[in-house]
Amino acid sequence: MTKELKDESGKRIHPYVPELCEQLRKGEVDRREFLRTVTLLGVSAGAAYAMAGRILGEPVTKQAIAAETPKRGGVFRSSMQVQEMTDPATFDWTQKSNVARHIVEYLCRTGADNITRPYLAESWEASDDLKTWTLKLRKGVKWSNGDDFNADDVVFNFKRWLDPKTGSSNIGLFAGMVEEVDTGKKDDKGNPIKTKRMIEGAVEKVDSHTVRLHLSRPELAIPENLYNYPTAIVHRRFEEEGGDLSKNPVGTGAFTLAEFRVGERAVLKRRGGYWDDEPYLDEIRYIDHGDDPSAGVAALASGQVDHVYEIDVSQIDLVSRLPNAVLNEAVTAQTAVARMQVDKEPFTDIRVRRAIQACIDHAKILELAHRGRGAPAEDHHVSPIHPEYAKLPPQKQDYALARKLLAEAGYGDGLKIKIDLKATPAWELAAVQALKEQLKPAGIELDLNVMPGAQYWEVWDKTPFGFTAWTHRPLGVMVLNLGYRSGVPWNESHYNNPAFDKALDEATGTLDVNERRKKMEVVEKILQDDAVIVQPLWRAVFTATSKKVRGYQTHPTFYHQLNKVWIA
Amino acid sequence: MSIFIVRRLGTMALTMIVVSLLLFLLLEINVEGVAIKVLGPYTSEEQRNIWLEQHGYFRPVYIRYFEWLGHFITGNFGESVRFKTAVSDVLWPRLGNTGILGLATMMVVVPLSLALGVLAGMREGSRLDRVISVTSIITTSVPEFASAVLLSAVFVFYLDLLPGTSSMSDGFSLVQLVLPVMVLVLYDFGYVTRMTRASMAEVMMTHYIRTAILKGLPYKTVIMRHALRNALIAPFTVIMLQINWLLSGVIVVEFFFAYKGFGALLLEASLNQDIFLIEACAMIAVFVAVTTQTLADLGYTYLNPRIRFA
Repeated sequence: MTKELKDESGKRIHPYVPELCEQLRKGEVDRREFLRTVTLLGVSAGAAYAMAGRILGEPVTKQAIAAETPKRGGVFRSSMQVQEMTDPATFDWTQKSNVARHIVEYLCRTGADNITRPYLAESWEASDDLKTWTLKLRKGVKWSNGDDFNADDVVFNFKRWLDPKTGSSNIGLFAGMVEEVDTGKKDDKGNPIKTKRMIEGAVEKVDSHTVRLHLSRPELAIPENLYNYPTAIVHRRFEEEGGDLSKNPVGTGAFTLAEFRVGERAVLKRRGGYWDDEPYLDEIRYIDHGDDPSAGVAALASGQVDHVYEIDVSQIDLVSRLPNAVLNEAVTAQTAVARMQVDKEPFTDIRVRRAIQACIDHAKILELAHRGRGAPAEDHHVSPIHPEYAKLPPQKQDYALARKLLAEAGYGDGLKIKIDLKATPAWELAAVQALKEQLKPAGIELDLNVMPGAQYWEVWDKTPFGFTAWTHRPLGVMVLNLGYRSGVPWNESHYNNPAFDKALDEATGTLDVNERRKKMEVVEKILQDDAVIVQPLWRAVFTATSKKVRGYQTHPTFYHQLNKVWIA
Repeated sequence: MSIFIVRRLGTMALTMIVVSLLLFLLLEINVEGVAIKVLGPYTSEEQRNIWLEQHGYFRPVYIRYFEWLGHFITGNFGESVRFKTAVSDVLWPRLGNTGILGLATMMVVVPLSLALGVLAGMREGSRLDRVISVTSIITTSVPEFASAVLLSAVFVFYLDLLPGTSSMSDGFSLVQLVLPVMVLVLYDFGYVTRMTRASMAEVMMTHYIRTAILKGLPYKTVIMRHALRNALIAPFTVIMLQINWLLSGVIVVEFFFAYKGFGALLLEASLNQDIFLIEACAMIAVFVAVTTQTLADLGYTYLNPRIRFA
C-alpha cells in the first residue's frame, strides 16, 4: 500500500500531484496545465498558484497594476437576448444561463483563464482510478428563501439531470453515471426503444455537506462539467414549487430577479446577504435588441448599454473606432463544423466524405471567413488550446485524391449536395461560401440552404448535411463525449464507431496530460480519418464594454462572471 | 347608405373567415407539427401524443376549426411557445407600441405630404413641382434598410446626437422614437406626396377650376374653396392604406432599431415557429388590413358625392 500524502492542513493529496510538480519542473507541462490539473485533483487554487510559483520561481501574487479602488453601486447594462428561462437543466443557449447565472450557482467555476476553481463545492477529491469523486460542499451557504444549501440539493439536481424525463443534455455530460436500458417498447421498425438513465446509486449523499459520485468509467472532467451551462444547482424543491426559475427565482447567487420580460429585458438586483464577498454592482440589466448584431453596437455607441454580449468579427473595426468602447478578445475553442450524417446518402460512403475533406484548405477559409483571427482546425474537434491536443500530420488540399475518391464512389460525373446553415453570425455563411468554392474544382456542387438561427436549431441534428456551431469547452474530451460518442443526444452526425468510443474512453480516463495526449492522438486520428466533419477553423471571440466598466474579462464561452465587475 | 355599409362589413367578415380558414389549414392541419412546435423538437412521440390528446387535437378538423375560431373571436389566442405566456399578454402591448410609432409617423407624413403634394400639383411642371417630385422619388426609392443604416451612421455614430436603439427598456422615450420615425417618414412621404400631387394636378385641369380662374376669382380662393376638397379624396384612401403598411411594413425598421413593436414580434414569431403567436399576428394584420380598406371605402364614398349610394 502506498503512503497517503497529506497537505499542510491534513487533507489528502492525490498521489498524482507530486508527479505533476516534477513534470512542471522539467517543463513537460506548462504552468496553465499544471494549475488546471492540480486544482482538478482537489488542490485549492491558492495552493496551486503557490506551488507553481515555488517551482518556477515566480512571485506568488502579481503586483496590482491598476491602483484604482473598486466603487460600489452602479448598474451594468448589457445588450443580450433575453430568452425564456424556465429550467436551468434544459438550457440550450448560453444567454439563458447568463441571466440565471446571477441567481443560481454552480458547484465549480471555470474562470476566463480556463482554470476551474471551487464554487458551491469547497473542494473535491478523485479516487486514483478517477471513478469516484467526492465533493465537499461549502457550509453556511443560504438559499434566497432562507434554507441552508446542503447535499440534498446536489443529489436532487444530479437525479433530475440524469432522468430521461427531464430532457437535459447533462445526460451525455455525465456518461459514466448513466446506463442504457430497454424501455420495453418498440419503434415503428420493431427495434427496441432504448433510453438512458442514471445508474442506481451513482450519486451518494455521504453526510449533510458531502456528496460522492460513482462512475462506471474513469472521468477526468467532472469539475469542468459541473460548470457547463445546464448544471446550475437549483433548490431541492424546485419541481414542487413550480419548476420555473423565472417565476420562482430561488437561488444561492448574489442577485435576485426583479423583472423579467422575454424578448425585452431582465433586471437583476443585488439581494444582500450573499455567502461570498458582495459584488460591487447593485443591478444587472439585460436588454434584448433582437437578432440584429448591429443594434447592440449602436446601443453601445450611444451609451444605452455598457456591454455587448458578442461582437461579430465583421464589426471589430467599427468597435475599435468608437471613442467610448473597449474591444475585448478571447482565444477559444469555439468553432462550427460541417458535419455529415453517416447514415444518410450520399454520406454513408466514406469515400464521399473523404473526398469532401480532401478539397479543403482550412487556413484559407480562416482567412476568408474570419479575417484570420483564430486558428485553422483539423477536422477532429480538438483545439490547439486544449491541453491534450496532439498534433497530427498536416492535412493537404488534394483535388486529385478527391476526384479519384468520387469516381470510385460512383460520382465521377459530379456530386450535387445541399447544406443547411444559419444566416447569422455572418462568418458562418462566409465559411460555407468558401467551402462551396473549394469543393467546386472537384466537381462537387454545394447548394446553400441559409435559414434563420432558430429554424436551423430545429433541424440541426436531423439534416443530412449541416453547419453547426459548437461552443468552447475547456477540455478536448468534453466535446467529443458530447457530440461524437455513439448514441448520445447531441451526436448530430449519427457517428457510431466502437473503436472511437473505446479510444475516447481511454483518453477520458487518463489523468497524465502527456499520456492523455498520446491517447488523444489515436482519438483524433480516427475521427479525422472517418471524415465525419469538415471543421474549417477555431475562432477568436470578441465582446465590447464601455470605458466605464472595470474588471470585466471575456470568458471564452461568454459566461458572465460579474461579481468583481464595477462601474467607474 | 346603410345597405352599403352592411355589404362592406359582410365582405370584410367573409375575407377574414377565408383567411382564418387558410391559416388554420396551413398551420394546424398537421397535428404532429403543432406538437413539435409547441413542445420542441427533442420531445418523444409519447409526450407529443399526450399533449395532443389533452388539447383535443384528435377530434375532427371542422370541430377544431370552429372551436379555434370561437377562441379567436373572444380574444383567446392560446399560449406563446417562446414567451411562455398568453399570446394576448405579448400581442397587445406590442401592437400598442407599433400604434405609437405609426401615429408619430402619420403625424409627420400627412401634413408634410399633403402640403408638398398640393404645392407641387397646383402648378404642374413648375420648378417647385420638379423639385418636390424628384425629391420624393429619390427618398421613396431608398429602401428602409439603407436609410436606417445611413441615418444611424450620421446621427448615432458620427454626430452622437440620438440613441442607437429604441427598445424603450426604461419606459417610453420620445428621443428614441426620432430615428425610426425619420426612416419611416423618409420612405413614405414621397409616395403620399406624389399621389396628392397627381390628384391635385388632375383637379387643376378640370373645367370648373378653369372657369373659376377665368372668372377672376383670387387664386387662393380657387385652391382653398374649389380645388382642395376634391383633390384630397384620393390621398385619403392612400393614407388609409398607409396604416396597413405601417403595421407590417415596419418590420425592417423595428428590427434595426430593436423597437419592440408588432412587426418585430411577427418576425420573431415566424423565426421561432411560435405557432399561436404567428396565428394571432396574422389575424390581427388581416383584420387591420380589411378594416382600413373598409374605412377607406366608406370615407371615400362619404367625401365624394358622385359615388354615394353606389
